[in-house]
Amino acid sequence: MAGSTDTTVDGRRAGISWSRIRRYGYDGLTYLVYALAIAFFLFPVLWVLSLSLRTEGAVYTSLELIPSDPSLGSYREVLDSGILGWMGNTLFVAVLSVTGILVVTTPAAYGFSRFRFRGRRTLLLAVLGFQMISPIVIVLPLYEIMRTLGLTESHAGLVLLYIGLQIPFSLWLLKGYFDTIPTELDKAARIDGCNRLQTLRYVLLRPVMPGIAVVAIFNFVLTWSEFVMAYTMLSSGGEGLYTLSMGIYVFDNQLATQWTNVAAAAVVGIVPIIVFFVALQRYFVRGLTEGAVKG
Amino acid sequence: MKAESRVEDPSVGTRVRRTIADWTDWGIVDRLVSRPLFWLLPALVFITVFQLYPVFEVFRMSLTDTSLISSEESYVWLENYRRLLGSERFYSTLRVTGIYSIASVVLQIGLGLGLALSIDYGVRRGLRGPLLTRVVVLSAWIVPGIIIGLVWRIMLLETNVGVVNNALDRLGFGIVPFLSDAQLALFSVVAAGAWRGTAFSMIMFYAGLKRVPDELYRAAKVDGAGPLARFRYVTLPQLKPVMFVVTILVTIYSLNSFDLIFALTNGGPGRATEVIALSMYKTAFNSYQMGMAAATAVVLLVVTLTVTAIYFRVFDISEEI
Repeated sequence: MAGSTDTTVDGRRAGISWSRIRRYGYDGLTYLVYALAIAFFLFPVLWVLSLSLRTEGAVYTSLELIPSDPSLGSYREVLDSGILGWMGNTLFVAVLSVTGILVVTTPAAYGFSRFRFRGRRTLLLAVLGFQMISPIVIVLPLYEIMRTLGLTESHAGLVLLYIGLQIPFSLWLLKGYFDTIPTELDKAARIDGCNRLQTLRYVLLRPVMPGIAVVAIFNFVLTWSEFVMAYTMLSSGGEGLYTLSMGIYVFDNQLATQWTNVAAAAVVGIVPIIVFFVALQRYFVRGLTEGAVKG
Repeated sequence: MKAESRVEDPSVGTRVRRTIADWTDWGIVDRLVSRPLFWLLPALVFITVFQLYPVFEVFRMSLTDTSLISSEESYVWLENYRRLLGSERFYSTLRVTGIYSIASVVLQIGLGLGLALSIDYGVRRGLRGPLLTRVVVLSAWIVPGIIIGLVWRIMLLETNVGVVNNALDRLGFGIVPFLSDAQLALFSVVAAGAWRGTAFSMIMFYAGLKRVPDELYRAAKVDGAGPLARFRYVTLPQLKPVMFVVTILVTIYSLNSFDLIFALTNGGPGRATEVIALSMYKTAFNSYQMGMAAATAVVLLVVTLTVTAIYFRVFDISEEI
């Protein structure tokens, strides 16, 4: 789809017509919207980047986006605070969580899409219903559960928690993908002697890949950024356990006035995930727009 | 079709024999994988442990005086709710959450729809810029909420360090108390929330727009419909299901907002930006009153479900799900 520029210039080209003027008007308006949107959504990030590159004294005076006397001093201090370790923790938790979510959700999505059993609709709606329950509502019992299981202050516990919390949405999305794949494929595989496991592995996994990509990207971003659960479960542990979000929050609270350092920490927190997402957003948007995301 | 074979024969003996025969014919794995439970079980276990049980548990906790610092616990039944409904703080958080959520929903859906339309238009017309715009807006969405709160706090600082105030000061407006004035602080929180959340509505609407068949537009054009009429009679009705989903999700999300506000204002000044979720969290982990906090969480859940139920009625979506 991308790049196909079918400019529908109507059949008749009658010189300067009103419709053409109107179209230029719309084009101009659209460019204006783009410019405003880019300014509004990009500026805060650029500003923090600019702050992070200044010396502590330069934050009070100048408004220029590109600092005249750039310095990497604040990055040095931030890196000394253990931020790379937090990033490592976050990466570890996010990768394991995404893997776990896919391992648990893919078969379930297949099950809901390919089996017809009593109570299927009810069960599906119940799973869907959990999307209306925000994690924050159940954070207290979750904390108690994790404490009882001895899983607070542990990354493994956090991973299990993320898997549990992210299943409903991921399941709903993936099931939609399986539904778009004709069951003739299953039948053909069956005739070729595949059992269901082999059918999923060798026949259905490929066409459902865009959906898996969306689920993976979405959950990676989500678990990378997650704060409440990590903060609640890991706070009592040492700083070495922190994830990026919580580390930066604690760091920010400790030196609330050294703005260049806080800005540098923010930049370190933002850049990797944006690079990751910008590189993959094509698959994310394509998967979302082409798959049947329906109830 | 052998794997699907339903056992019609009532005799137990035959059934067992047939089962054994099936197992030996197909192998235990094939037998197992032809049952839906095999596929659903792990997901159901996770959901039960981490979602279903906690929902019941939060209700139960709300009826007790359980505390983070003592291991004793006794049932006080509705006492927590009575105290909650009698406290001014509760109504204040309810009001703040209401204002924040309504403003967020209107703003994020309005901006999201506008951006989606302009990006879709740009792609159809082959303009430059839709991709860049999309990527930039989406980037804002994926920045961790805590960091967004932090970034906005730095921008809105009420000294010359805050870029917004610095600029306003230079223009002669003086320093605006974006974070220390009660009403302005709420406004700031809404703005930061929109900065983050608009991308979600945008991408959902964009996905919806892409699915509107071109024929519909062409047919409307043939019938003499101008751009506005096409938007009103083709685009909007086609977007109705997406609108429904987006409205519900943005509402749920706004009602339960936590991390961004936690980092931006931490509920202040005073309680001017303290939403229900924040008040709940503080009650639990700063005052250690888990029972009270659980009651607050239950109220939050009830509010969320009520609003969702109202949406279901208003949108009348029944024929589309």
